Amino acid sequence: MRVLWTNIDYAASVVLFLIGLYAVIAKGNLIKKLMGLNIMETAVFAFVMATGIVTGGDAPILGKGAEPPFANPLPQALILTGIVVALSTTALALSLIMRIYERHGTIESDDLWGVE
Amino acid sequence: MRRALIIALLVLAAVPLLFGVSQLPPIGSTGNPTYTHVVPRYLEEGAEEAGAENIVTAVILNYRGYDTNGEVTVIFTALVAVLGVLTFAKATAAKSEPAEETPVPAPPMPVSPVTRFIVRILAPFILLFSIYMVIYGHTSPGGGFQGGTIVGALLIAVSLVSGSAQAKRLLPERIRPWLQPAAVLAFALVGVAGLWLIGPYLSFPVEGELVFLRTPWLTIIEFGIGIGGAAIVASIFWAMEGSD
Repeated sequence: MRVLWTNIDYAASVVLFLIGLYAVIAKGNLIKKLMGLNIMETAVFAFVMATGIVTGGDAPILGKGAEPPFANPLPQALILTGIVVALSTTALALSLIMRIYERHGTIESDDLWGVE
Repeated sequence: MRRALIIALLVLAAVPLLFGVSQLPPIGSTGNPTYTHVVPRYLEEGAEEAGAENIVTAVILNYRGYDTNGEVTVIFTALVAVLGVLTFAKATAAKSEPAEETPVPAPPMPVSPVTRFIVRILAPFILLFSIYMVIYGHTSPGGGFQGGTIVGALLIAVSLVSGSAQAKRLLPERIRPWLQPAAVLAFALVGVAGLWLIGPYLSFPVEGELVFLRTPWLTIIEFGIGIGGAAIVASIFWAMEGSD
């Protein structure tokens, strides 16, 4: 339990992930499902960013006056990529939801059973 | 019943995740495995080897350039898919079944004069800030994605306060198809230049007399990403708004 407390940042991203998972499973509205998916993505980003924290570390920008320790640049670079991909998938999913609404007049997944 | 099932599933997912998280090395120490493999080299030699004092930029554009090249292709493909889903599908639907009842769009909310005034006042400064971010992305916080997103947000703000027609004048129809893939084109340009002058695709000069090319190449890619990102973000917004 003590270990979980020192890793409270990781635990927080697990909780955030579960909130997103709940929205994806329990909500019927497609927009809300997509929001849940985005919350899950954010949780993963927060988790990976937390692995790069260095206590007392500076931003990894070298140059005059920069002193180690520096924060880990690798998670930041990877998550920058991840955020852009999340943006792309969100935009595509939203446009598909818009088409579904135009065609069927609803975005409740329960009402979409069996429609063509 | 359904609610109980969902909660059971969430608890079932939570236990292994929390257990795994509690076994990870503590946050913040420099002895973490994430910090001990490639990162020391990035931090010690990145500035000289990659030509960017901002190590995040060095990792994104130089060490992991292929990764970013793939990623800008992903976001461009997403734009193509969004345009395909929204614009072309609508055009064919209108041709085949025009009698389909369309939901009446809500009347647009009038924009407050304060908002309009503030956006107009701030727009040039926002643009200036984004250009600064792109140009100095390799020596200070910032970079192509950040600057490009700011320009995209600016275009969206202008679309909201003075109408998309006004905002589209900033990004004319004639050149927009060339701006949207700007990031991909910039990567292709620098990649082929590296292939031609140095060695593998997307290789940067490390030493020798070509080393002066490194910062211009990084800046070309940053500008490509910035312009492409801005055009893509704004185009997605316009396509969703239905004015495209």
